[in-house]
Amino acid sequence: MLWLIFAVFTAVAVLSVLWPLAKAPRGVARGEIGIAIYKAQLAEIERDEAQRVVAPEDAQGAKAEAARRLMAADAAIEPLPAASRTRARLASVGVSIFVPVLALSLYATIGHPDMPDAPLAARLDASPARMDLAAAIAKIEAHLAQHPDDGRGFEVLAPVYLRMGRAGDAVSAARAALRLLGETPARHALYGETLVAAAKGVVTPEAKQSFEAAAAKDPSAAEPRFFLGLAAEQEGDKAGAREIWGRLVAEAPQGAPWAQALREKVAALGAGPEATQDGLAAKSEALPEAGQMTAIRGMVERLASRLAQNGQDVEGWLRLVRSYTVLHEPGKARSALIDAKRNLAGDPNALVRIETLARELGLEG
Amino acid sequence: MIVETGHYALVLALALALVNSVVPVWGSVARDQRLMAVAPPVALIGFGLVAYAYFALTMAHVVSDFSLVNVVENSHSAKPLIYKITGVWGNHEGSMLLWVLVLSLFAAAVALFSRSMPEDMRANVLAVQSWIAAAFILFILLTSNPFARLAGAPVEGNDLNPLLQDPGLAIHPPLLYLGYVGLSITYSFAAAALISGRIDAVFARFVRPWTLIAWISLTLGIAMGSYWAYYTLGWGGFWFWDPVENASLMPWLAATALLHCTAVMEKREALKIWTIFLAILAFSLSLVGTFLVRSGVLTSVHAFASDPTRGVFILLILVIFIGGSFALFALRAGGLQQGGLFAPVSREGAIVLNNLLLTTCCATVFTGTLYPLALEAVTGEKISVGPPFFNLTFVPLFIPLFILMPFGQLLPWKRGDLAGVAQRLAVAFGAGLVFMAVLAAWRGGPAVSVILSGVAVYVILGSFVDLVRRLFGGGVSADMVSQRARGLPRHAFGTAFAHAGLGITLLGLAATGWGAEKITALKPGEAVEIGPYELTFESVVPRNGPNYSELAGRTVIRSKGAVVTTIDPATRFYPTRRMNRSEAGIATLGLGQVYMSIADVAANGAVNARIFWKPLVALIWIGALIMAFGGCLSLSDLSFRIGIARRARKAQAPRPQPAE
Amino acid sequence: MMRKKRRLVLISAALAALSLALGLVLLALRDNIVFFYGPSELAQKAPHAGQRLRIGGLVREGSLVHEGGQTVRFAVTDTKQDVVVTYTGLLPDLFREGQGVVAEGTLGRDKIFHADSILAKHDERYMPREVADALKKQGVWREGAEAASMGK
Repeated sequence: MLWLIFAVFTAVAVLSVLWPLAKAPRGVARGEIGIAIYKAQLAEIERDEAQRVVAPEDAQGAKAEAARRLMAADAAIEPLPAASRTRARLASVGVSIFVPVLALSLYATIGHPDMPDAPLAARLDASPARMDLAAAIAKIEAHLAQHPDDGRGFEVLAPVYLRMGRAGDAVSAARAALRLLGETPARHALYGETLVAAAKGVVTPEAKQSFEAAAAKDPSAAEPRFFLGLAAEQEGDKAGAREIWGRLVAEAPQGAPWAQALREKVAALGAGPEATQDGLAAKSEALPEAGQMTAIRGMVERLASRLAQNGQDVEGWLRLVRSYTVLHEPGKARSALIDAKRNLAGDPNALVRIETLARELGLEG
Repeated sequence: MIVETGHYALVLALALALVNSVVPVWGSVARDQRLMAVAPPVALIGFGLVAYAYFALTMAHVVSDFSLVNVVENSHSAKPLIYKITGVWGNHEGSMLLWVLVLSLFAAAVALFSRSMPEDMRANVLAVQSWIAAAFILFILLTSNPFARLAGAPVEGNDLNPLLQDPGLAIHPPLLYLGYVGLSITYSFAAAALISGRIDAVFARFVRPWTLIAWISLTLGIAMGSYWAYYTLGWGGFWFWDPVENASLMPWLAATALLHCTAVMEKREALKIWTIFLAILAFSLSLVGTFLVRSGVLTSVHAFASDPTRGVFILLILVIFIGGSFALFALRAGGLQQGGLFAPVSREGAIVLNNLLLTTCCATVFTGTLYPLALEAVTGEKISVGPPFFNLTFVPLFIPLFILMPFGQLLPWKRGDLAGVAQRLAVAFGAGLVFMAVLAAWRGGPAVSVILSGVAVYVILGSFVDLVRRLFGGGVSADMVSQRARGLPRHAFGTAFAHAGLGITLLGLAATGWGAEKITALKPGEAVEIGPYELTFESVVPRNGPNYSELAGRTVIRSKGAVVTTIDPATRFYPTRRMNRSEAGIATLGLGQVYMSIADVAANGAVNARIFWKPLVALIWIGALIMAFGGCLSLSDLSFRIGIARRARKAQAPRPQPAE
Repeated sequence: MMRKKRRLVLISAALAALSLALGLVLLALRDNIVFFYGPSELAQKAPHAGQRLRIGGLVREGSLVHEGGQTVRFAVTDTKQDVVVTYTGLLPDLFREGQGVVAEGTLGRDKIFHADSILAKHDERYMPREVADALKKQGVWREGAEAASMGK
């Protein structure tokens, strides 16, 4: 359908050129119009004279002037030149090729023929199966604005917000779900996770409390225990972290995707020399920062893997590139830039932002 | 689908503009009628395509299609429908599309209404118009595409700048663009004339109505723009000598000069070179204005520096079109035939003087606007040139123009009698002096205001002296008068009204000297006196608009104890952009206005208020309306006369004419 | 002779108008231009007190003080240097802490800038270049600051 409309437009455009080329020529020569105009001028001078706007002798002079031009125009009338069929044919062929080729090739580079219109009303009315994520969220939000007691809605929204990077919204949604639907290990864990996200990877005391509540109700759940381990690590309690994670790895079901990554973490923790009593004071000062770095690295890796699956998240890419720069890994930052540009090629606005960031960080070229 | 078809239509319009840039010129060089005949239909279809593209963008805004970057950045689903439509040109991409739409509208109008134009002239004019169109469509498609899409469409947009959500803005940019871009036609006529080397009364006759249309639109657009600034910026000021304003004033000055100059050329075939020069100049100034506004070089040097593609692209267009046309001008101007002779004291002479003054005024505005930029580019020193500069340069040059205006109207063509004209103007001049004396005795006030008011009265009366003499001269009966009125060309009335309109605007400007201003804190129930009125601030009322919430300060205006009216100055808050905007409360009382804007609403309901009494301020804009009305009168006359030309041609050349 | 005379009159009129304009422009430029400084430049150039100036920068967060009546005091910063500005009157709508601002007035001996006008630009994104540059260097230039522009 779209291409049919394109075809019709193109045809009309080409025909607007071909039609006059095919028709018998007609036209007005300059001299004829000159004659008409000078005649009108003469008439006007006479009228002015009658109303005494000009002095009679000046009117005579002006009349003589106009009459002289009138005669010149009359003499200048030349036969209208003949039209050449060859030239017309040449032009027709040229235009018939030029217009479609230019229009289609230019459109092919800048247009998005695959993208349908997306009026807001239609997006919001679409059946749930076909609705895009943003519209779905908007719909649920609108619903929740009217029914603030619907805990189910908040429970659905919280993880979605989390995935979109709207950590603040995620926290309040998870909190609402916890309040309205009652406490379950899963809700506690979710709430904790949103708090960690809002704190940019730091397991805050409140988050830790929430994970502890979850772990107390369901000691076998992996997620709260992971975060409790992380909390321990961030607090500098390496042994505690190793213990919690070690047990988690040991109990991991066969082939759990996270087990391998966690095993490496445990190994990394173990690789460091055991803290000795006399060095403890110095260590405990250095540790929180080191722990935070680890947490940041962990977050960055998670962000990278998420973006590898879904590359349409501009904010995510911006964050990733920035993070690599902060971590002094320019190589990774550059490759993330390239990946971002490839993934967001269809979105000029996003590309501009990516490039602006690259300039700011001095990653160009 | 409508979005992508609109995008394609714009691409196709570029292809057609390129075709029209080449084929008709080829035709006129080869003197081939078939090739020349291509221009009008292609111009019409090209207009159709651009109009469709514009329609598509408007639809996207109306239905809040957030898959377009442009819609996301400048719209919001809760925005009132009218601002969804006007928001289309409230942003860079959309306004450039409007620019091109107006450009092709004028091309289409020429194609439709100039059937009686010589074929080669029409072909060349439309070709030049297509060059401009092609350059700007390319600019849009490559650097500012309003049809850019967004992969993951958000559900809400960033809303339009609240300052732009206003009925004044709804009308003024399209009007300004009709004026700005309308001058492209005079440019195209001039360039076409230079290409063909034929510049005569025929040229002047055809270029005049287009100049008039552009001038009328520009006049209305500037007036509307200043009124918009007046009541949305909350400052009570209506003209700031801001570069953006100057960018619209410069083409207006050039267009006014051109308008007068084409009259001389049409009647007397004199001033040919000058006319062509002005036609090129007027549009060049429009382009410069577009560059200044659109490249961002003025409002934010940063915008230009961080994203120079747009600025450099427009600069390139500027250099090619201005440079090219002036080069052509230099090449061809020498070979033009001399026109009719006239004495220095004559209507031609007066118009020459008018042109000199207008272009000099234009040059001072140009200097004041661009000097800071040039200085910064050269020395890095940053300066600003404010109202004092313009008051000292522009105003002294404009005053002689006012004195001259009635003289010009009364002087006959070719040769005139200055003493005789002065005698006829004595009444108007005397009235002006008396008015001055009365004002000075009655109101006192600043000398400038008194003098300017006197000049204004002289101009207003002087504008009608010629008409009165032509209608009532020699003491005749009512019958005779109406007969004479029918006999008079309408442009004589047009001239009188346009000149009088300018005088009325001047009177409004002069009256600002008697205004009063108060800045004060008001508690609920507190009263304050301003001018002849007493304002009582009653209370702050919170209200909700579709996409904003506002606090309105209800204020009652009383005159000698009796309630006159109520005004609701408000501060509005637009949550999407987290921006405040004040909405002035304006009451028009007679021709004056009470103007009040409020800010900083305190918890106890007290506000900071800025209150003005502006006597006769409405005259500033009424004058502009009258000027435009005069222009319309002249226009109706001109179209009538072109009709004569066509009938004459048909009678003379009984060649078979196809119906279309 | 007629033609020569006409040309002479024309040219002399043109010259008269132009020289008048030139004189006015030079006169006006001598007295009526206002230099524009950022806070750092102001500190460095130290213009004499009483000279009319424009200064531009960001309104420092938390610096706005209402001194009673219509008088306000705030600091304009380019993140390196600050200038304290006092102003009596209504602040424009677009005036906010953390946003760009341009003030015109004179610098007092006490190094306080006495503004008689605070500029409200048609464009909310108005930002003096040195401020923009300084901000960019510090990485605080805000994304999306260059969205829509208006069509006047």
